[in-house]
Amino acid sequence: MSAPTTKSVTEFMDDPINFFGQSYTQMHSMSRAELEDLQRHAMGIRFQQHRQSIEMVRKLADRLGVTELNEFNDVVPLMFSHTAFKSYPSALIDKKRFDLMTKWLDKLTSYDISNVDTQGCNSIDDWIDRLDEQTPLQVITSSGTTGTISILPKDKRGAVEGMVLWKICLFQTFGQEPTDKELNPSVDVIWPNFASGKLGHLRIAQMIKQGFTGGDESKFHPLYPGSVETDLMFLASKMRAAATRGELDRLEIDPALAARKDEFIAMQMRQPQELDAFFVKITEKLRGKKVFMTSAYPQMYEISKAGLQRGVRNVFAKDSAVLTGGGMKGVALPDNFMDVIMEFLGVNKIQQGYGFSESSTFHWACEEGRYHVMPWVIPFVLNPDTSEPLPRTGRQTGRAAVYDILLRAHWGGVISGDEVTIDWDQRCPCGRTSVAFEKDIIRYSEKQGVEDDRITCAATQEVHNEAIDFMKGVDL
Amino acid sequence: MSAAYTVPLFLRGLVVTDDLVSFGTRSGAVQFQAPDMAKYVDRLPLKSPGEMSDLYRVSFDEILDVLEAVGEALDFDSNTHLQEAYEASLVANVLPPEMMRNSYQVLRPLFTRDHVLEVADTQVGLDYLNGWVPHRLSDGRELRVRAFGSRVLHIPAGNGGLVSAVTILRSVITRCDTIIKAPSNDPLTAIAIARTLADVAPGHPITKHMVVGYWKGGDLAVEEVLYQPQHIEKIIAWGGLASVKHVTRYIQPGLELIALDPKRSATIIGAEAFTDEPTMREVAKRAAIDIGVANQEGCANARVIYTLSGTDDAGLAKANKLGEMIYSELVELPPFISTPPRYPNRDLFERLESSRMTEDFYRVFGGEQREGAIVVSQFDEPVDYAPMLSGRVANIVPVDDIDQVTRAVNAYTQTIGIYPESLKHQLRETLPLFGAQRLTSLGYACSVAIAMPQDAIEPIRRMCKWIVDEECDPEVVIPLWRLGQQVKVRQ
Repeated sequence: MSAPTTKSVTEFMDDPINFFGQSYTQMHSMSRAELEDLQRHAMGIRFQQHRQSIEMVRKLADRLGVTELNEFNDVVPLMFSHTAFKSYPSALIDKKRFDLMTKWLDKLTSYDISNVDTQGCNSIDDWIDRLDEQTPLQVITSSGTTGTISILPKDKRGAVEGMVLWKICLFQTFGQEPTDKELNPSVDVIWPNFASGKLGHLRIAQMIKQGFTGGDESKFHPLYPGSVETDLMFLASKMRAAATRGELDRLEIDPALAARKDEFIAMQMRQPQELDAFFVKITEKLRGKKVFMTSAYPQMYEISKAGLQRGVRNVFAKDSAVLTGGGMKGVALPDNFMDVIMEFLGVNKIQQGYGFSESSTFHWACEEGRYHVMPWVIPFVLNPDTSEPLPRTGRQTGRAAVYDILLRAHWGGVISGDEVTIDWDQRCPCGRTSVAFEKDIIRYSEKQGVEDDRITCAATQEVHNEAIDFMKGVDL
Repeated sequence: MSAAYTVPLFLRGLVVTDDLVSFGTRSGAVQFQAPDMAKYVDRLPLKSPGEMSDLYRVSFDEILDVLEAVGEALDFDSNTHLQEAYEASLVANVLPPEMMRNSYQVLRPLFTRDHVLEVADTQVGLDYLNGWVPHRLSDGRELRVRAFGSRVLHIPAGNGGLVSAVTILRSVITRCDTIIKAPSNDPLTAIAIARTLADVAPGHPITKHMVVGYWKGGDLAVEEVLYQPQHIEKIIAWGGLASVKHVTRYIQPGLELIALDPKRSATIIGAEAFTDEPTMREVAKRAAIDIGVANQEGCANARVIYTLSGTDDAGLAKANKLGEMIYSELVELPPFISTPPRYPNRDLFERLESSRMTEDFYRVFGGEQREGAIVVSQFDEPVDYAPMLSGRVANIVPVDDIDQVTRAVNAYTQTIGIYPESLKHQLRETLPLFGAQRLTSLGYACSVAIAMPQDAIEPIRRMCKWIVDEECDPEVVIPLWRLGQQVKVRQ
């Protein structure tokens, strides 16, 4: 086999959507040998770019003496754990040193953001706005349930691409080339969460709104119209950290945030009415319409249960796109939860994706339940303790890691907290040629029964209410 | 999966190995078995508190004799019970063999006559333990006070056999009726000592008031039956937040909790440490010991180390130099004191690697082989993951001002190791206000004595019931009935 041409590698790594003709089928039909060859070349090139442009990658590579990547496993020692994105001291946020936060983030991204003006910046949200305005970045954050918030330097270009990819995966059928209608679907978006916010998944709300409705507010239907303040989440996160240390008495609430206490409490009080209004809206205005809806299973179940309790069932068009994510273990839902969800939504199927915030996209589950890895993502199964790569043959269970070639704004090598299985020799009966994660995926932290700080929507409302409840109890 | 070992039930001299059921260990890799406690729970407590009277027919001298004999028999090389306990601990505990062996070798001196007497006399008072101590109050009444033993349940911590030995020692000198719930990570030490007791003093009242067994913490079938005021008067609970919190649901009038709850410790190093190279080396050696002993599994180990080095460039340079020196001392510690952790916390070492890449804020010495590490903050705040510090990872925090070191202390603080003594003297009136419970010379944090208060309480006094016999002579102490008559007469 001949080596891939420079042009084909460049297009593969920089514009994979067009490289594969916007076709989900093509993305999963390339022969493994041919794809791996492309991946190896692209990985080597991207590493050289990032070694130049991302200080933390360069420092790590220099320390380990890595100057080039040739084989897949060469990248493993250079992979970041999720902690890399929360390695800043949280005191910087307390002290409003957003200049130093910018300096920290600058070392994690390929863009030069050293000139960002943080003068007068007095909250995380404010800082994120500045980054939005002044840089190509569109950062996302975690909910910070363990006391520190992760900050991922994603970029705007990646956000746009991400939504195009979602549509490709959601609306196309494997084995068939896309139609115009599939490439340009018209849907209303159901977003069973707060309408906006700077936090991880709430940030996605804006991306979805833009990507699926072109920014048409009338087609975007959130459960709660309000926005979640990252600073409020940060307070909740600090509370948890302070409680762990036995220092809740020393927790200081920022005056700017404290001043908005009544506003937050009012927002919390409105939630029951807003929930009612949401159901009225979907039954009166959206019944039978083709929608796109996404959330984790527990939220989808809660909303479905609340709907059925109000006598609302079979609301949406059968060919609506409903997406949910990740593994299922560790979530306590009744056995019939899927029936409840299906009865409420009235759709033909629910699609599942697996991925993590650090990577560029989800990997969609096929009819067999396997999560087929997108072609620009190189998956790894690592020894869960030592992070040494396990062989890329046979059936391997261990810690998931990926090198994501498509990531331009930040380093693409990431080690996850998930236990996964890949059967490297498997040729999936679904027809996709790609490597796949097997169905059962579990967080190591769930396995060990410890809390972690996954970027998820699961805890938002609880965490948000926890912070407001805390403020209620403190004289401000 | 076959059981790696069996935790018998020591029932007042009887060793029970029937009705075995299986349990998983914390690591999950192996299982062990123990009698199904639900079947025996009715036999654990005394039938009647009156049965404790035999303990009062035993003189303290006899108690000393028995404990001394136990001590002599706790010879690791010849005591098969201890050897069994050691073998089990290799599977059940995170500490390596050299250290576990050492933890059994230090048990003997606890039980010497002199030591037992010192503990009993200073921590309770021999007079109170052995009889009624008279005292006359200013209103003229004659008091006689005696410290009685109580019916106690111990839930000791499992990080090393010392805790089990101290538990037994405390119970015996106070003439308690004792039930010990063996910890899963040190499953056999208490049993081994109890069996040694039965060997040296078969049928003795001390032996007959000793029960040691295992059940899973939170097993309602056992705990709801046993944790009742008619069976137990006091629960002495060590260790994890979850286990202590769990016990609190049983606390009610008549059943008291003595919580030796989860603690962390800290270290404060004064500017004097940087006087010259030999002083720094000495300080580094001492700090390394406080961090390294038993691989930082204990509550007394050093974790966050505040140094009054200052935070300007010169100050940071000093703090970094000290960090480097502590690290080199740490990895040189002999294996019976400290080794690289057998099960390093992956999350912690990931955070450490991230700190290593964040040079503006942190310097990391060591840690690449997960052998232990020192992170030096380059500003006056500890790392955000300070609560995770374990497996020989400590954080040096340089500060400019002595007022900042009170941040080292909070409601969860136990020991503060301090250098030099003059700084300790300066801080000792302040640090306790914030939560510090024990101030000690740097290098002695983990060198813990028994003849002193623990966790800001006097646990041995609390294990006793302090009974008062009052004698009131109506001619001396004005009686209420006469007071009543006087009022009547006046009317």
